[in-house]
Amino acid sequence: MQLYSRAAGCCIAALICAAVLLPGCGGGKQAEGHRSTDFARQNAFPSTYSVKQSRPVLIEGATVLTGTGERLDNTDLLLEDGKIARIGDNLEAPKDALVVKGAGKWVTPGIIDAHSHLGDYPAPEIESTQDGNEMTAPNTAEVWAEHSVWTQDPQFALALAGGVTTLQILPGSANLFGGRGVTLKNVPGRSVQEMKFPGAPYGLKMACGENPKRVYGSKGSAPSTRMGNVAGYRKAWIEATAYKKKWENYWENGGDMPERDLQLETLAGVLSGEILVHNHCYRGEEMAIMMDIAEEFDFQISAFHHAVEAYKVADLLAERGVCAAMWADWWGFKHEAFDMTEANIAIVDQAGACAMIHSDSAIGIQHLNEEVAKAMTAGQRAGFDIQPQDAVAWMTLNPAKALGIDDQTGSLEKGKMADVVVWSGNPFSVYSQAEKVFIDGELMYDRADRARQPRSDFELGILDAEGERL
Amino acid sequence: MKKLFTICVLTLGLATGVVRGETVLIQGGKVHTLTEKGSFDAADILVRDGRIVAVGLSLDEDADRVIDARGKVVTPGVIAPVSELGLVEIGAASATNDYAVNGASIGSAFDPLPAYNPKSTLIPFNRAGGVTRALVFPGISLWGGDSDGLQRVFAGRGFAIKLNGAFDSVVKRNLAQKAYLGEAGGRLAGGSRASAYAKIETALFEAREYRDNRAAIRRGDWRELNHSIDDLEALQGVLSGAEPLLVTVNRASDILWAIELADEYNIKLVIAGAAEGWMVAEQLAAAEVPVIIDAINNLPISFSTLGARLDNAALLAKAGVKVAISGPEYAATHNLYLARQSAGNAVAYGLPYEEGLRSISANVAEIFGLESGTLDPGAVADIVVWSGDPLEVTSYAEEVLIDGVPQSLVTRSTRLRDRYLKPQQGHQVGYKH
Repeated sequence: MQLYSRAAGCCIAALICAAVLLPGCGGGKQAEGHRSTDFARQNAFPSTYSVKQSRPVLIEGATVLTGTGERLDNTDLLLEDGKIARIGDNLEAPKDALVVKGAGKWVTPGIIDAHSHLGDYPAPEIESTQDGNEMTAPNTAEVWAEHSVWTQDPQFALALAGGVTTLQILPGSANLFGGRGVTLKNVPGRSVQEMKFPGAPYGLKMACGENPKRVYGSKGSAPSTRMGNVAGYRKAWIEATAYKKKWENYWENGGDMPERDLQLETLAGVLSGEILVHNHCYRGEEMAIMMDIAEEFDFQISAFHHAVEAYKVADLLAERGVCAAMWADWWGFKHEAFDMTEANIAIVDQAGACAMIHSDSAIGIQHLNEEVAKAMTAGQRAGFDIQPQDAVAWMTLNPAKALGIDDQTGSLEKGKMADVVVWSGNPFSVYSQAEKVFIDGELMYDRADRARQPRSDFELGILDAEGERL
Repeated sequence: MKKLFTICVLTLGLATGVVRGETVLIQGGKVHTLTEKGSFDAADILVRDGRIVAVGLSLDEDADRVIDARGKVVTPGVIAPVSELGLVEIGAASATNDYAVNGASIGSAFDPLPAYNPKSTLIPFNRAGGVTRALVFPGISLWGGDSDGLQRVFAGRGFAIKLNGAFDSVVKRNLAQKAYLGEAGGRLAGGSRASAYAKIETALFEAREYRDNRAAIRRGDWRELNHSIDDLEALQGVLSGAEPLLVTVNRASDILWAIELADEYNIKLVIAGAAEGWMVAEQLAAAEVPVIIDAINNLPISFSTLGARLDNAALLAKAGVKVAISGPEYAATHNLYLARQSAGNAVAYGLPYEEGLRSISANVAEIFGLESGTLDPGAVADIVVWSGDPLEVTSYAEEVLIDGVPQSLVTRSTRLRDRYLKPQQGHQVGYKH
């Protein structure tokens, strides 16, 4: 699908077919009925992701957490043509099917991490690989995280062994507008395009609070305060609104084609509903302010990330349909992370908002099931009735909502992508491990078979010329 | 390692809260003694005067306080092998940080003890996570400052605390000296890890020279030394074997050099880091060098940790190395208690279960000579009653005793939780205490 513009003199007819309607969590502000636009340049670096469909998979007699609130004991799951084909009892294995004995095993949707920097901050961490933060101006909405991804980062495979099938790579948080995030399927690739989740909307990374004001304030430039941050956001949205109007006017009425501006294009993509806002924001007050800014400029915030104080404004998040992505227990590394409660995710969830775990860490991303287990336990201790079948959504369906891909993945429902993890036991135990990880029905990781464990180029011969890194 | 000497709290006398003669009976829990006596499915523990006096089946004793531990798990309190507790409140608030010295460091003579704040919010929080004691060490910021300082590879001296939040909660000082070799050492020493090695060796050499010629050196009747008398005095405990030298190092080849240095000077070495420890596990075992590892960190995050893996603890323990597990590096002080989760992961990757428990308690006590870490008659009564398996992520501490005294498990985190359980519009929240 090549949209209107790479060539000059684009044709209006092409615009009409560009339907990228991607609601954010809780329903985005979609400009219904208005002609679709492509401020997002959705296909400038088109996904070339594909998986070879080898054979059907039947997982027999497992405990299934669907991600939609159900726990199905002793249940079969059939994966066919990359999709979830059937869930039920006594399903018959198609010819040539890979049959997985599920007794004692638990099955969940593939884990989705809405906040990762893998590839942009790869391992090993050396001077030349710090590609995650364009710390040169407070507004760098023009940069795209995918352009920094080193696909050979060995951390992708570690995350896969932890059951992560989809992840959003975001720019860092030094800037008010850090740039675009990209959603990837967690598969090996020579190019980032081979990993890009087909059709997933782009994200725009924004940051509240301490980071932007520290980075720029310490250089003697704006912003140096939280109020300076807010002025920076609003100024940019005013410009973006004008930019969007200019292009819409051109598309409707013709005339001279306006000049393209990479930075404003991304912001206009947010205003048109094509790009989802992912907002690093710790404090409750700042979340309330950001939601009013979204109201003022008529866009939707998809999720607050690192939302350590989301519990303080959980009712407002529910009201505005904004998700919160949180850690289980990180705190104290800065002032805005001081008011942590381990019941954060549970309180947000129980207030009716869309709550999720996120990692922001190459270690945390390998243990998101454990992180959810801790958050679930904290919720139970706070007096809430939260069971594994509920909490599993915090690492599957809810992040899928925040990324605008919940119609395709994030739960075990017929017709959805066969992104599935088979666990050795209850995933909310420190002793359970992801044994098999399927992405679009393909066995991408098998703990029992080294031949089905990906190794990045970097790992070959690195510790032992003839052996494996591990 | 049972040391039944009379209580000698080195700093300010007896622990707060111990009422003479008071007894506590913990009844019917699954007890892991972490001694050769092993575990009991259901046993009682009797505590008197802050010490364990008996562990056994159905102790018939009238106690002042009885804790029903049936269906629960009872272990020694968690001991953090490295931390900055009481030296940091908020990472990015410099006024609340006293652990890292930027620029010119004092060196081996640096003792952060006067900076220790027993009222830090990190103490009740980690106590609620089951941590009862911790080693506290200074660190050195790798940023800024003069990298030429000869002593910069030494962070200084560590002390041990108990987490009851009392002003007299320091239990032992001058416990160990901390230094950096390998990659971090190289950065501190001006670029090369070989330079870090040379700096530590020079310091030890001069400390020995000073020991053997103290009077002449103090008179000024000696060649000019590169280190101050304070620094050389501070290293005497390391030379005599009274204090271990805690060396931060990860790469296998760097670990071997550290072992060689320790051997040459006949010092007690403890390795912190040891991401590639499994590659030299036999050498570590032969040299009887214990390690403190971040068991959940399997990232090849630097060229010095390419061999990082989740079964490092299992492989080291199998070779006979004494393993202690620290809190995860990304939250090494604020979330020290997560050493439990790291140990659980180590067990999931092959570490025997009991070794997992020992790695966060008994082994730490043994490495640093602390009298806790086991549930044995005579031991300090630092005891935790858990809702379930303490290494499991769904378990939590229900009772924490330090010196036999039940501790509060309220934290800022639980206070905030209770205030905002049902967040809503309005001013009432400000009046909820």
